[in-house]
Amino acid sequence: MNEVDRECWLSALTRVPAQDLKTLVETFPSDWIIRPTAVPQVGLGMLKLRDSTMGEAFYLGEFPLSQCRVSVTTAEGLMAEGGALVMDDSAERVEYLALCDAVLAGRLPGWERVLDLVEMGVQLQLETELERKSILAQTRVDFSLLDADAGSDND
Amino acid sequence: MGYVAIKGGAQAIAASQRVCELLRARQAEGTPLATETIEHQLRLLHQRVLSEGGVYHPELASLAIKQAQGDSLEAAFILRAYRSTVPRLTETEVLDTRQMRITRRISSAFKDIPGGQVLGANTDYHLRLLRMELLNESEEQFQSITRDWFQSTTDLALDQIPDTFPKVLDALREQGLIAPSDPQRRGLDAFDITREPLIFPVPRSAALATMARGEQGALLSIAYSNMRGYGDIHPTIAELRVGFLPVMLPHPVTGRPMEVGEVEITECEVVAMYEGNGKADMPYFTLGYGACFGHNEVKAISMAILDRSLQIGMDQGPTNPSEDPEFVLLHVDGIDSMGFCTHYKMPHYVTFQSDMDRLRTTQGKMNGERS
Repeated sequence: MNEVDRECWLSALTRVPAQDLKTLVETFPSDWIIRPTAVPQVGLGMLKLRDSTMGEAFYLGEFPLSQCRVSVTTAEGLMAEGGALVMDDSAERVEYLALCDAVLAGRLPGWERVLDLVEMGVQLQLETELERKSILAQTRVDFSLLDADAGSDND
Repeated sequence: MGYVAIKGGAQAIAASQRVCELLRARQAEGTPLATETIEHQLRLLHQRVLSEGGVYHPELASLAIKQAQGDSLEAAFILRAYRSTVPRLTETEVLDTRQMRITRRISSAFKDIPGGQVLGANTDYHLRLLRMELLNESEEQFQSITRDWFQSTTDLALDQIPDTFPKVLDALREQGLIAPSDPQRRGLDAFDITREPLIFPVPRSAALATMARGEQGALLSIAYSNMRGYGDIHPTIAELRVGFLPVMLPHPVTGRPMEVGEVEITECEVVAMYEGNGKADMPYFTLGYGACFGHNEVKAISMAILDRSLQIGMDQGPTNPSEDPEFVLLHVDGIDSMGFCTHYKMPHYVTFQSDMDRLRTTQGKMNGERS
């Protein structure tokens, strides 16, 4: 399973349709005890960038951010801790993500289904990358100097 | 100037809001604009609002545009108002734009740059002629655009294309044409304009942050004054890049860095006139930097020119408006300037009454002196 690093799970899961995530979480047994281990929060993060000319740091602007950290105890006494931090402002979604993180990290019952969703997210991520690369491939330009190419524009 | 509270008009104000809604909905057989439609089909307006609102929230930026009925200043204002109601949870480590997932990258300094030039989406080489066929674009034609694009890319060796690209400036730095990176500057704290007022002199990081959410037209206007001769920057674009920057934060449990999302940004680095004191110091090209949320090239270029002109003003004292930090930074914010402008529409009855009284008194005195 651990071909995908834990730090990549959430990024992949945020790509899958929200309804798929919700449907998966609703299949987890209702007798699990799920406790927040930190106060779930929805707010903003500030993006700090390094200017590439002189290397100074500055704030580019803000982005929505939600965070959640939970512990899960199954009826059999298995325990796992999970957390999520995503660029989003849905409290419900970040809780689902934290739960999936815990299930997959602790290999709690149903972890294979979470992994399936992670793999689906990785695939969607790959599709986005390929779409962007197709833009790069199709619009790559090699300008010629006029004197070197006698005015031809057949690039 | 004085102000006076007024009362009354609640009914008319409520009705006025309904009139705005009426005009929005009056299209015969129309359907409401989906926020996703705004994000894609009004892409550059959307990105402008994202940038000027200062919050990278694509869905709410679309909503703000819908609510403001396309007024970019109002929409940015609404987005900025939203951000003021939400708590700040954290800030990122300093992110490096070398990690950008590029969709466009050009240089006007070099024909050949490491990694190559990529036009991506832009209108630089388009004819500015109306495309009349869009007047009657069918759903089928519209949907075929994406399909055709992907069909045309099936034979490309996309896995050969790198994820990230090197910087043109790094090559210039290696050649010793621009100054080595200054470790002292790298260690400076960033100024937070959302928490601290601009009290001059301000550090460069305050100027960059202010311009990053500044209004495109205002930045362009002042940068244009410099380009036309009220200044001496003469920029060359070393690199202009558009792409998606992964936003990294520590995983809540492991503490290791993870991607929480990505933001689309435009970044511009300009090379300006070289500078040296003519004695022992080695002369180097000087540089200007611009970056903002979204795909906003005019804004990023204008910002880079103004960054360089403000550096001159900060170091040597301003000799023209675009070099004056106070002049530039206090006049480029769209929400500030629009707010000041539109406040003139609010009732000023008492102050104007006072103006009239004073004029009448003065006229009366002059009439008395003449008679």
